[in-house]
Amino acid sequence: MPALLEIDRVTRRFGGLTAVDDVSGHVREGELVGLIGPNGAGKTTLFNVICGFTPPSSGEVRFAGTRISGLKPWRICRLGIGRTFQNLRVFPNMTVFDNVSVGAAGREGHSPLDALWRSAAARERSAAISRRSWAALERTGLADVAGELAANLSYGRRKYLEIARALATGPRLLVLDEPAAGLNDTETQALARFITSLAAEGLTILLVEHDMGLVMSICQRVMVLASGRKIADGTPEEVQRDEAVLEAYLGVAEEGA
Amino acid sequence: MPLAVAAFVFVLLPLGLSLAGSGYLFRLAVVTLIFAILALSMQLITGVAGLLSLGHAAIYGVGAYTAAILATRLGLDAALTIPLSGLVSGLVGIALALPTMRLVSIYFAVATLGLGEMIYVTLLNWVSFTKGPLGIGAIPPLRPLGIDLSGPLATYLFVAVITAFAAVVVHRCAHSYYGNALRAVREDDQCADAMGLNVVRLKIEVFAIACFLAGLAGALWAHTTGYVNPADFRFAESILILAMVVVGGLGSVPGAIIGAALLLLLPEALRAVGEVRILMVGAVMFLCILFLPKGLFGEVSALDLARRQFGAAWQPERGLGWR
Repeated sequence: MPALLEIDRVTRRFGGLTAVDDVSGHVREGELVGLIGPNGAGKTTLFNVICGFTPPSSGEVRFAGTRISGLKPWRICRLGIGRTFQNLRVFPNMTVFDNVSVGAAGREGHSPLDALWRSAAARERSAAISRRSWAALERTGLADVAGELAANLSYGRRKYLEIARALATGPRLLVLDEPAAGLNDTETQALARFITSLAAEGLTILLVEHDMGLVMSICQRVMVLASGRKIADGTPEEVQRDEAVLEAYLGVAEEGA
Repeated sequence: MPLAVAAFVFVLLPLGLSLAGSGYLFRLAVVTLIFAILALSMQLITGVAGLLSLGHAAIYGVGAYTAAILATRLGLDAALTIPLSGLVSGLVGIALALPTMRLVSIYFAVATLGLGEMIYVTLLNWVSFTKGPLGIGAIPPLRPLGIDLSGPLATYLFVAVITAFAAVVVHRCAHSYYGNALRAVREDDQCADAMGLNVVRLKIEVFAIACFLAGLAGALWAHTTGYVNPADFRFAESILILAMVVVGGLGSVPGAIIGAALLLLLPEALRAVGEVRILMVGAVMFLCILFLPKGLFGEVSALDLARRQFGAAWQPERGLGWR
């Protein structure tokens, strides 16, 4: 059986800079995989290639056996890849519920006729979007602030709002872009428990992180990027012992000594 | 609340105007309602979906000319010319939207400005079809299905019914999951895309609906005025409609109607002070942006929206221009 997400020799160049250089990898159904690397390793570029924001210069990405590179982001989302953004992109002038309903509408589809003519089918779709939104809000513990403007939420809760919105798109694979960035230790631990619980429910998760601690503590498998290349792929223990990884993160031994 | 508004628009106001017995006041009320339809449709494009369109008056003009030509040349009934004007404007809207919808922020605004002026120049120079700068006169008043609605009270009530229809359409589009999808496009269209929304389709749809409504407004203008002229559908008119939406508040349905009433009735009320009144309208807008950044009832600040449209142009990493 092919893996859920297959990254097949993906290269992405920006002018003379090769941000992602011939990277291959995969995420199997039900796995919680980490993608780490130092700053500038190409994590975000690879992430954008997976989600359709940047087409690869060569190579391709397959999801559940179908080629997704070259598709528009909304198509990729509807195939079942939900994402969050590193630099929090909630819709600030909309309520928490409305934010999440956007993801749900992305899953259920949208038509202006539903708004103009409230037929039985239109009401059914509205109800389905509303149910899906509430489920995502309950799951992330945001139901009590559903009526608040997203802009009024604390930074930490906006992170959960991003995850709730992504969950509302009904993903088979959830891709989180640096979810722990800007959180303190307590918040990071709570987030780690939350991500683990999502994975325990059978959701496949790809966690892109800058910080090693979170990834090493919760992921089953870790892929390491450095200077655009994949330098390691294995369990957290294997990766932590890997010479190349230590070198990329800590510099060569002579310098460290 | 909607009942109180309906009672005011359909009973109190016409009663008061009848008692005052002035054709001028009825005319003023009709023009206000027509601009309320325009502001409502603009609200859908700019307030809800966040697209800064500067060619709205041209679409309105397409509707007015469609009604004028159908009524004077083919002798069509107002019951046909009004929906047909909406349809033609809606189609022109889609035709304009297809090439421009992939443009981002300020580029879209400039493109709609250009297309709007192109429509104006066409109305002005296609003399054999539009009679050019002379305009089209002797457009029959409202007599849909042979029912004579040309009296001031009947005309007012008819226009009020269509305004109510436009308000319901815009309200339903804005307050539904569909409205949330449009707001998401306004707030962050790239992110909306990543959440599974077909952003380009949403933009074209909303543009078509709004242009349909603007076309209805144009037909009402043609039939109630009896005369159309290209000069009524220029850039300045688009800006006036935009100002109504900004003063009323971006994203709000009652805001659009009240904004339209304010910006039309204020200059009339200030007629006594002469030409200075134009300056005073400008001052109202300026003070509004300064002290009521979200307009009277808005959900987004106009400066915020403008900043996003203009500011974004200096951020090459956000992939602006063609996408």
